[in-house]
Formats: sequence, C-alpha cells, structure tokens
Amino acid sequence: MSAPPKYSAAAAAPPRLRSDDDDDDDDDDDGNDDEETVDEEFISKSAGPVTMIPDVFTQLPPVRDDLETDTSEAQDETVEACLPFLAGQDDLFEYNEHGVPRINREKHIKFLHNSLGRLPGGFVAADASRPWFLYWSLSALTMLGEDVSHYREAVAETARGMQNDTGGFGGGGRQLSHMATTYAVVLALALVGGEEAFEVVDRKAMWKWLCSLKQADGGFQVCMGGEEDIRGAYCAAVIITLLNLPLDLTPESPAWTGDSSANLFTGLARYVRRCQTFEGGISGQPDAEAHGAYAFCALGCLALLDDPRRVIPKYLNVPRLISWLSSRQYAPEGGFSGRTNKLVDGCYSHWVGGCFPLIEACLSPAASSGQGGQADDSDRAGLPPVSESLFSKEGLIRYILCCCQDQSKRGGLRDKPGRLSDAYHSCYVLSGLSSAQNQWVLAGSDDKSATGVADPAWTVLPPLEDVQIFDKRDRIRPIHPVYAIPDENQRAIRSYFLAKDSEGFF
Amino acid sequence: MLALSRCVAFPFRSPIQPPSPLENPHHRPSKPTKATTMPPKGKAAPKPKGTEATKPPSVSTSAPVAPPSTTTTTTTTSAPSPGPSTVSERSQQRFDESRPYEAAREKSGLSSLAPAEQVAWISSQLARSSAARARLGPKAQRELWRHVNEASLPIRAPKTKPSSGSWGKDRAGQYIGGYTAARFDDRAAKRISLTALEIASRAFKHTRERARKGLLDPLSREPVVLAENETDQEKNRRRQMAALRRELYGQTMGQFEQDPEWDDVVPIPQDEPEMALAAIAYPASYAEAISYLRAVMQKKEYSPRCLRLTEHIISMNPAHYTVWLYRASNIFAMKLPIPDEIEWLNGVALEHLKNYQIWHHRHLLVDNYYPSIADDAEKVSQFAASERAFLAAILAQDTKNYHVWSYRSYLVGKLGTWGADELAAIEAMIADDVRNNSAWSHRFFLVFSNPAHTTPGTAATDPDPAVPRDIVDREVQYAMDKTYLAPQNQSPWNYLRGVLAKGGRRLASVEPFAAEFVAGLGEVDEAELVRSTHALDLLAEIYAEKGEREKADLALRRLAEKWDRIRVGYWEWRRKCLDVAG
Repeated sequence: MSAPPKYSAAAAAPPRLRSDDDDDDDDDDDGNDDEETVDEEFISKSAGPVTMIPDVFTQLPPVRDDLETDTSEAQDETVEACLPFLAGQDDLFEYNEHGVPRINREKHIKFLHNSLGRLPGGFVAADASRPWFLYWSLSALTMLGEDVSHYREAVAETARGMQNDTGGFGGGGRQLSHMATTYAVVLALALVGGEEAFEVVDRKAMWKWLCSLKQADGGFQVCMGGEEDIRGAYCAAVIITLLNLPLDLTPESPAWTGDSSANLFTGLARYVRRCQTFEGGISGQPDAEAHGAYAFCALGCLALLDDPRRVIPKYLNVPRLISWLSSRQYAPEGGFSGRTNKLVDGCYSHWVGGCFPLIEACLSPAASSGQGGQADDSDRAGLPPVSESLFSKEGLIRYILCCCQDQSKRGGLRDKPGRLSDAYHSCYVLSGLSSAQNQWVLAGSDDKSATGVADPAWTVLPPLEDVQIFDKRDRIRPIHPVYAIPDENQRAIRSYFLAKDSEGFF
Repeated sequence: MLALSRCVAFPFRSPIQPPSPLENPHHRPSKPTKATTMPPKGKAAPKPKGTEATKPPSVSTSAPVAPPSTTTTTTTTSAPSPGPSTVSERSQQRFDESRPYEAAREKSGLSSLAPAEQVAWISSQLARSSAARARLGPKAQRELWRHVNEASLPIRAPKTKPSSGSWGKDRAGQYIGGYTAARFDDRAAKRISLTALEIASRAFKHTRERARKGLLDPLSREPVVLAENETDQEKNRRRQMAALRRELYGQTMGQFEQDPEWDDVVPIPQDEPEMALAAIAYPASYAEAISYLRAVMQKKEYSPRCLRLTEHIISMNPAHYTVWLYRASNIFAMKLPIPDEIEWLNGVALEHLKNYQIWHHRHLLVDNYYPSIADDAEKVSQFAASERAFLAAILAQDTKNYHVWSYRSYLVGKLGTWGADELAAIEAMIADDVRNNSAWSHRFFLVFSNPAHTTPGTAATDPDPAVPRDIVDREVQYAMDKTYLAPQNQSPWNYLRGVLAKGGRRLASVEPFAAEFVAGLGEVDEAELVRSTHALDLLAEIYAEKGEREKADLALRRLAEKWDRIRVGYWEWRRKCLDVAG
C-alpha cells in the first residue's frame, strides 16, 4: 500500500528545486499545507542557482506497512535522521547544483593522520586490532590522494613488532598471529610500498603458518585455536597471492593428505559455496545469516582463485546473490544495509558496494582476444551482461557525501548521521565511493601466474565525461576491486616477490 | 658540662618562635635530654642539606613561649626574625641564630662590635674548634668556657649555609623547603614507614625463599615455614607501600607488583619502537596486566592465578583474542568444570553484547564439554535447556546479534536440538518482531539442515528431495501467514522462495498468493496498487517461468519506474535476463 508520508515537508515534497539562497527552514513545518508551502517557495525564489534532488532521495518509499515492530521503528528513525542531510538542509554543508556536498578532504585527511598517531587510553579495546588502524588509515589517505610513502619506515617498524617467529602478524607485540591482522599488515605494507616494507614479512614462516590454519574441509581458521570462517578464506587468498606464496602444504597442515593432491586452495571455493544462504547472500560460516561483509569476502576470495566469469557462477547461485545484493540498497537513504531488515551503514558502501564490480565482471563477456579466456557465455550461466550498473551509484554517492561525512571539526567518515566517525568507516566509506565513481573492467584471463593462480587483468576505465552528481575534484582514487588498494600497489608487491622467487622460494 | 647543657640546647630552642598554627598537636618533641649528653661539638647540628630525611628537631612545640626580650642576641645588630613559616626558613633562622655576631662582623668587621661581643664571637669560634682549643692552656680553656656560659653562646651549629633548592621537589613539583614544619614532619614519618615496610617485605621474601628451598632455621633447627597469615600480611604491607609510594613520589605500584603471589614472574613490558604507529597510551593497570600475561604465556603456565589474570584483562579489553584462547587453554589444562566457566561467561556476555570472542570461547567450551555428557540424554537436554534460556536472555537485549545467532546454529548442530523446543523459541521471536531476519534464517536452518529429513551437504539454494512434502507445505504456509502481517517485509518472502527451492517447487505454485498484493498492474495512476514490491518481484519471475514475457517485463518495468526505483539498475538487468532466457 502507499502509506501517506509521515515526515517533514522536505520529505513529502515532490521533485523540487531548491535555491541556494533559500534560508527558510521548512523542515519542521507541520500541518497539511506543506506541499503548498514548498511550491510557493519554489515559485517565488527560483531566481538563483537551483539544486535538483530526485524525489526518490527525499521521499519515503511508495510501499510501506502499517505494522510497527522494533525493526520498523529503527528503520523509521534512520530515515528521519538522514532526510535533512539528503534534502540539502544541513547547515554545515555547501551543496552543489545536484544537492550534493563536496568531500571535505582536508578534515578527513587530518582525521586519518591522527588515527595513525598516538591513540588515547580509551582505545585500549583496539589493542588487538592496531594493524587495522594502519590499513584503514593508510588506505583512506591513499584514496584521498595522499602520498603515504613517508610512513614506510614507521609501518615497517610497527609491523616488525607484531610479527611472530612462527609466521603471521598478531594484533600487537606477542599476540597470536591472526588472519585478519595479518591481512591488514600485508595491505599496509603494500600501501607504503618499497623493499624496506616488503622485506619485513618472513614469507617462509608465513607460508608454514597458513598451512597450519588450512582445514581439511577447504576453509581456513583465523588463528590457531580460532574459528573457521569466510574471513579466513578471503584473507588467506589475499595474503597468498600478494606475497606470491607457494600453494604446497606442509605435512603439519590439518589438510595434508599424505601426497601432493591437496594444496592451500583445494576445497576453498567449495567452502565459500557452503556459506551461500537460502536468501542468496553469504554468511560468515555455513548455516548462519547472509551478511554484506561476508559477501565481499566470498566474491573476493573466488575472484582470486580463478577468472570471476568462470568461478563465481560455478560455485554460487548468481541470480539469487544479485537479488540479495540489490536488496541491500534502500531509498530514500541510498546507502546499503548489511542484512535483510537491517539499517544502512556507510561501511557497506564497500562490503556490499564492492561486490558489484566483481559481479558485473562475472557477467561481462570474455575478451575476444581469447588469450587464456576460456570463459564464454555458458560460464555466465546464461546471464546477460550489465549495461550500466546493477545498483544506483547516484544513491550511494548521495548517501556517502550527504550522510557519511562528519562535518564538524573532527572530520572523518561515519556509519550514519548521529554516529561518530572512525578509521574503519572512513576506509570503507571511501572504498565504496571509489568503486561507485570508477568503472573497472576485466580483460580475458592472463596466463596463470607462477603460483598457478589465475591472474585476471583488471583495468579501470577513464572517468566518464558525462555529468556526474559530484564535483570532478571529488573523484576518489580507483582501487583494485579485489585487493581494495590501488592497482599499482598490488602490482608492486606481487612483482617484487615474483622476481625474488625467480630462483625458487625454498 | 651541666652548665653547657643550657646553651647546647639553644639553637633548638628558639625563644622567638611562636607556635605555628599549623603545628601538629600530636607532634612528638625531640628529647632535650639527648642534647645534654652531647659533647660541645657541632655533630648533632641539623643538616639542612638536601638530605631531608633527617629527623628534624622540633623543639618549637616544646619550647615555652618566650618573649623576644629574653633572647641573648638583643645586642646584635640584626633584628629578631619572625617565626619561620617553612622548613627552609627555619633552617635559615637556625643558621643565623647559631652565629649571633657573625652577620654583624661580616658586614662591618670585628672591630665594629662591642668589646663583650668581640669576646663572645671569638669564644664561640674557639668553642667550635677543638683544634684551636687544643692550643690553649688549661686556664685559657676555663676562661673560654666561662665566657661561653655567661653569654649563653650557641656551640653547636649547622656547618653548611642553607641554600635554596637543596630540599628538592615533591611529586607535585612543589618545593619541599616550602613545607610547613608539620607537613615536613608528616612526610618524613611516611618515608620512615615506607622504609620499614620495605625492610619487612624483603624479610618476607627471604623467608619465603628459604621455606621454598626447605632450609632449616639456624636457631631452632626447624624447617623454615611460611605461616598462612604471613602472605596476607605481606599483601597488606604492599598495599601500604603502594599507597605511600604513590603519595610520596607519585610512583604507581601495579596490582600485580603488589601481589606477593606474582613475585616470581618477571613481567615483559611492551617494547615498541618510538615511531610505532597507532600506539595506544595504555592505562597503567592494563599495561601491567598485559606485561604479566606475556610472561606467563611465554612459559606456558596454566594455573588459577593465570585464569584470574585473563579475567582481569578481559574485563578491560574483551576484544583481546589472544587472552581468550589462553584462557581456554588454562581451563582445559587444569580440567576445570566447564559449567562453571559457562556460568561466568554468561555475565561477561551480557556485559559486552557486541563482543565476538566470547562466542568462540563458548564454542570451544561446548566442544570440550559435550563428549562428557553425550551419552546421557538427560544431561544433554538439561544443558540444551539452560543454553536456550541464556540465549533468550541475551537475544532479548540484542535481537539480531550475529555472533549469538551463529553460536546458536552451531549449538543446535552439536547437541542435536532440532526439535520442537527450539522451533517454538524461534517462533516466539518471530512473533515479537516479524521482521527479525536472523530468526527467520535460524528457522530455515532448523528445518532444512535437520539431518533427520534432509540430505547433508545440499547447498542452501538447491532442492533437496529428502525433505518431506508436508514439511514444505507447512513452511510455505508459515511464510504466507506471516507475510500478511506486513506484506512489504522481505524476510518471509525470502523464506518462501527458499522453501520453494528446497522443495523443488515451481514459483508459480504461489502465484495466487503473490497476486494478492498487486492490483491493476500497468493501469493508470491510482488503479495500480502494489502492497509489496517483493510480491511484484516474485510475480515477474513467475511470469518468466511460465513464458509470459510481456507480463514479466511489465512487472519489472513498473518496479523500475515507480515501486522500487532505487533498484532500477537491477530491474533493468532482470529485463535483459528475460531476453536471454527467451
């Protein structure tokens, strides 16, 4: 049913033009004459530059239920909190003609540099996730165009203190090595780049440690004695490919079969398959609820195992997955939620938003060159390629720029209005913005790399010349769709170790 | 010598000093008798150097209030000084008063003094120098002491001229010389107490070490034993030491440093380079605990004290995965009763709702515990019931907590609790909030992963012929019933599709149901009414399934144009799918 809008005039307004010098706050008008008020305003004040905001971002969705539950109340509150920002009514912003604010680079950059500095005692709860602060902050700074190579020595020193002799990196000195913190350290090293950074990693110990986490069912534990989940699968695939580690198993590995029939990647895609739920999304472990963050882990992991055109349809029900991913985008917010009937959150701009380049690549036709590109239409399960985008890039960009920027002195990016910014959200909101602003395409598969891992060639298309809702200067640096760092950074670290291993790893 | 006693005491008896209002009434006066036995030398003179530990002579309180006129220094040129307000001033006054004619002599020369004063000055110089006196004959010496007695000359005197700054500063950066006498005495008393405690503490450690080595007491020839209460006394002593160190020097003595039980562990502090990034300014208590954790983990110690240490750290930082795994190792190594640990964990879980590690810990506990009860159906059922009760309590606080639900599905698989109780618990949660998708997901797992009537290893989106028809019917009906409560709620729609897929049924089998929520599709304006975009989405797929391409396309177009515009890109792609399929 089409429920009557219960929010402010702004929310109820038809597609409306808003003049820049409009300083009337019609936000809290009440009564039935709201629409008239807005119309009059539009007529009388439309002389100046005008802003155009499609009403899908200023109105409640056309289909709403009357039944109120905890879930619908939380959803209504979120919409109410977002609407003033989306409707160009926040005093702290300057909106462009599309009703979209500029990205506040300087404040965010300052916030992120601070996140790398000395953290106050209240951060004690982050004591086991310090490598994440390195990755989040360096990645966000990089996407904002900052050169982070001057952090090289400091990152190398910090990482060294977190590395264990038995392989891998812990959350801090003398903490158990963990898949997630190791992933974060390796990406941080790749972001600062250079031999000094790369050489921190004890790759032999790392390889042995990964072997000890590899399970007989194909998945990876996140640490010795820790849980086995899809984060482990994705992080392992990233670590192995970036560091050019051998796939052979040690006899100490729980997945060791007594011969060379199994390797680090054996059964990994099958494990990912077990995490797809009846909803079509992906859960953290088999038998749990579909969740946005795990969807990215699943697709990222598969995309490292083989050509996405081949491996994704082979192991996942793609139509159900796309249906679920697409359902994550809400109006009027424009952002993504992480689960069915949960709220939008800026971080899913990456976790869910970052799935679309991978899915779109999986639906793209194989390169005509035919070089190693065996993937043909049958691999794509008979699904057509995507013409423009499977999701509303405009919606996501609006949500990010309007709702996720902390416009106070603090800077940084956030979950949603009313929440504090932090390094985590800064990183993933910007990653999402980057993938919404830039278009990646997948060429035919390259020949298999030295590790036997498929190495599909991702290339970013030049920026579109047609009108964008964001300012040209606000384009965020493109990041690799799987590694989530700039392409040149992932290339640099991989080619460094490839060259190093030309005389053998062992 | 008796005669001398009066004047020996002089420098300590400043008659011009009024009692300070700040004076401690319980202050213990110095013993004047002690001074009487002293030789007329400068040995006992106060030493106002930096060595403030010297017990200050505090005669002032015991001195009768004497009017300034009684002083023997009235003849000097210097005016009587007012009473000292600080210990630094007091030292200066004592110094000056011990040298009655010195200031005048320094200023104008010996000849400027009156003859009697000259004699007095010379006498005091001689009286203080045994070497000079040795050169005097017996008569001259008698003469000297007569002068000294008659003029009541001070004999003992501070050797060193007080200098500013020599007192040092206290923890607050305050100059100690600026203390009042009472405050200074209080500080000195505390320093003495601390020293005494430290000596006793060393003695305790010594005894404990000898007891540990089984040595014999040299006197009694009995083995040295450490009495039960001695450890408690030592704990009490360390508390006092910590309080004194903090008060006197601003030093913190950590909780573990204070605990005699931890004396054998050498903590391993964080040793990060100065340039380390995102370094946390740890609170001292956290840093200390972690430094002990590193030490015991390194030596792989599993003991009750380690268990307590992990609890302490978890209370400060429950996200510290390393400490959780170490805690589990302790429990398993000591074979502690798992139910006790679960009981403890319940409190921690309720306190830290968003924590991830708690649930993996619980998982490890159950893995360890289950084999011990697996053969006893009664015990398993009791345990399942208590777990269910706890999960209900925690999900009441946070209905969609991902980690709790993941643990719940693990638990069902582990204990085999696929039955009616679990299903009823989930139905209650769906009744509370029909939009709780976590509960819907769990129901799907309960029904379609139950090994009693499903094929293990079947993918969630694939059909499973093993599932009985009546179960599929029941679940279809359940989803439909719940859909009517709020047709735009996607959870039951996703559930319905999931059930149909499992049952291998065509989507078209629910076409009449889906059609209930859509009226007048494609008609103008108000005639078209969609009460659920999910119904329309499903209808589009049903039409495609039936080969009704145009109808499918219309449904998708209306979704893109009007009913679910944010997903326009997806609906457009779905329209392209129709062409491929066709």
